[in-house]
Amino acid sequence: MQYMLIHAGAPGLDDAWNDEAWAALNAWLDEAIGSGVSIEGAPLRLDADATTVTVRDGRLIVTDGPYAETKEQVAGYDVIECASLEEAVGWARRHPHSWMGSVEVRALAGDSPVVHLPDPPAAGKTRYMMLVCTDPAVSARAEPAEPWVAEMSSRGVRLFGSELAPTGSARTVRGRDPGAIVIDGPFAETKEQIAGFDVLECADLDEAIEVAARHPMARAGIVEVRPFRSLGEE
Amino acid sequence: MAAALDGVFREEWGRITAALIHQTGDWDLAEECAQDAFAQALRRWPGDGVPDRPGAWLMTVARNRAIDRLRRGRTYRAKVEELAVMAGREAGDTASTDGSLAGADGSDVVGDERLRLIFTCCHPALAMEARVALTLRTLTGLSTAEIARAFLVPEATMAKRLVRAKQKIAHARIPYRVPPASALPQRLPGVLAVLYLVFNEGYSASGGDDLIRRDLCDRAVALTQVLAELLPSEPEVSGLLALMLFHRARQAARVDARGDLVTLEEQDRSRWDRGEMELGRRHLADALAARRPGQYQIQAAIAGCHAAAASAAATDWARIARLYRVLAELTGSPVVELNRAVAVGMADGPAAGLALLGQLEAGGALGGYYLLAATRADFLRRLGRNAEAAVAYEEAAALAGTGPERRFLNARLAEVRARR
Repeated sequence: MQYMLIHAGAPGLDDAWNDEAWAALNAWLDEAIGSGVSIEGAPLRLDADATTVTVRDGRLIVTDGPYAETKEQVAGYDVIECASLEEAVGWARRHPHSWMGSVEVRALAGDSPVVHLPDPPAAGKTRYMMLVCTDPAVSARAEPAEPWVAEMSSRGVRLFGSELAPTGSARTVRGRDPGAIVIDGPFAETKEQIAGFDVLECADLDEAIEVAARHPMARAGIVEVRPFRSLGEE
Repeated sequence: MAAALDGVFREEWGRITAALIHQTGDWDLAEECAQDAFAQALRRWPGDGVPDRPGAWLMTVARNRAIDRLRRGRTYRAKVEELAVMAGREAGDTASTDGSLAGADGSDVVGDERLRLIFTCCHPALAMEARVALTLRTLTGLSTAEIARAFLVPEATMAKRLVRAKQKIAHARIPYRVPPASALPQRLPGVLAVLYLVFNEGYSASGGDDLIRRDLCDRAVALTQVLAELLPSEPEVSGLLALMLFHRARQAARVDARGDLVTLEEQDRSRWDRGEMELGRRHLADALAARRPGQYQIQAAIAGCHAAAASAAATDWARIARLYRVLAELTGSPVVELNRAVAVGMADGPAAGLALLGQLEAGGALGGYYLLAATRADFLRRLGRNAEAAVAYEEAAALAGTGPERRFLNARLAEVRARR
C-alpha cells in the first residue's frame, strides 16, 4: 500500500531549518531509500509561488496563491510503501518535518502506483505538484478523471498521480518523538481539502495552467499548481 | 535638457527593460542597466548634445552594461553572446548616418518585446497589486519609492512586493511571451484591468500626493497607447484608451479651487480639453468599427455622450441609459445597475430612477456603498421629499470615505434641511 506524506509548515519554515534538522532528514532518507520504503518525494515551493485554477460557468479563473488560506503551508511530499497506516505513521514520526511543522499521512486510493522519477526533469521543463482539492461551495459532481489522466499521460505532461483516501482516515503527526502527537484528520482545518494529486512536467506555468484547467475538478473543486523546488536551490 | 531626457526616459525605458529581460531573463539586471544608461545620458548629453536616435544610443549603452556585468559574473556565456550580437547590430545602426535605416529592422522586434513584457507583468498568476507594481516599475520606469507614494504604502512594502513578484515569475516559470491568439481573449482583459486600475488610482482619489497621482494617469494613457499600437486589431484596447482620454479631458474641471469635487452636471465645460476629447472620439470610432463590443468600448461611448453634450441639460440621457443597460448585461455588475438607475432618473424622471433603485436595494449587493445612499438622496431631493432625502444624505455622508465626497454630501444635506 502506498502512502503520501504531506509536509506542512509555517511560512518562515525555511529559516528554521538548522544543521540538526538537515542531518535528521538525511538519516531519514538514507533509511527510507535504503529499505525501499521511499518511492518518491520532493520539496515544494511555498504558498507565495502557488497558483490556483478553477473553471466556473465555463470561465477560467487563475489566481495567485494556494487552494486555501492555511496557517501551515504545503512544503513538500514523500510517497512511501508500507504494510499499514500505523507503519506509515511511524515513518512520519521519524521525519524531521514532524517537528519542523507537521506531516499528514494519507493512503493513496488510486490503482496506478507512484514510481520513482528521474532527476532532473527533461531539458527546459519544470515540475509542478498539482493538488486536486474539494470545494464545498460547488455542488457540481466531478466527472471521471480517467480521460484527463489518459490524455495528459500520453502527452507526457503528467508523470503520475493518485486520488487520496478520504480525510476521515488521514493522520497528522506533530512534534518530536518521543513527544510527537498523532491527530486524526488532515493538517489544515479548512473546508477545502486535498483529495488527490498529480505530478506534472511542463514547459512553463501557462502549460501547467492549461493542463490543470482541463481536470474535471477544476469545475467541481479547486486545482492548485505549485512548482517543485530543486534541492540546493534557494 | 532635463525635460528632453524625461520625455526620452518615458518613451524608451520600457523598450530597454523589455529587450534586456528577453535576452538575459534577469529582471533586476535589466532594470539596473537601463538605470545606468539613463544616468550616463544625463552626464553626457548636456555636453555632447542629444544623439540623433536617443533610443538606440540608450539601448546600446544598456546592452554593453549588461554584457559587462554578465562577463564579470563569468556566467551565462550564451546570453553574453546573444547580447553581443544584438549590441553589434544596434551600434552599427547608430553609427550609420543614413536615417532611412532607422526603425526599419530594430523597432518591430523591440515592439514585440514590450508586448511580451506587458503580458508577463500582467499575468493572472500574479496578484493584482503585484501586477500593478511590476507594470509601473518595469514598463514605465517609475521608481519603487514613487509607486509606494502613489499607492500610499511604505516603500519597504512596495519593494518587497516587487521582489516577490519577480521571484514568482522565476520560481513558477511564468513565461516571457505574448500569449497565442487563441488565449488572447482570455488574457487581454487582465492586462486592460491593470491599466485601468492605474488610471483610476491616479484619477479618482484626491488624497495623497497629487502630482504623482496625475502622473499615474498620464503613464496609464501612454501605456494604453503603446498597447493600442501593438495590438491594432483589439477594439477593447482602443475602447479603453478612448475612455481614459474622455476622463482625462475633464480632469481640470472636476475639482474646484478649494479642492472640492464638482459634479459632471455643474462642471464648467469650457475647461474641458476639446483636443483630448476629439482624440478619444477618434479612438472610439476606430474601436466600434470592428463591431466587437466590450465593456470598455461601451463605457467610452457613455463618456463620449457626456463629452458631446454642450450643456448638462443637453445630455442624451436616454441613450446613456440604453448603453448602461447593455453594459449591465455584459458585466452583471450592481454598480453598473446603479449608474443605469441614475441615467434612467435623468431620462425619465427621479420617480423612474427611484423604482429601479428599489430593485437594486432589494438585491442587497450594494449594502454599505455610499453612492447607493447618495443616489437615493438625490432622487428624493429632486422629488421634493426633503425629509427622506436628509436621512439618505446623512447615511451617505457617514459611509463616504474621503474629504471632497463627504463635503459635497454635507452641503446637499444642509440644502435639503433648509428646505424642509
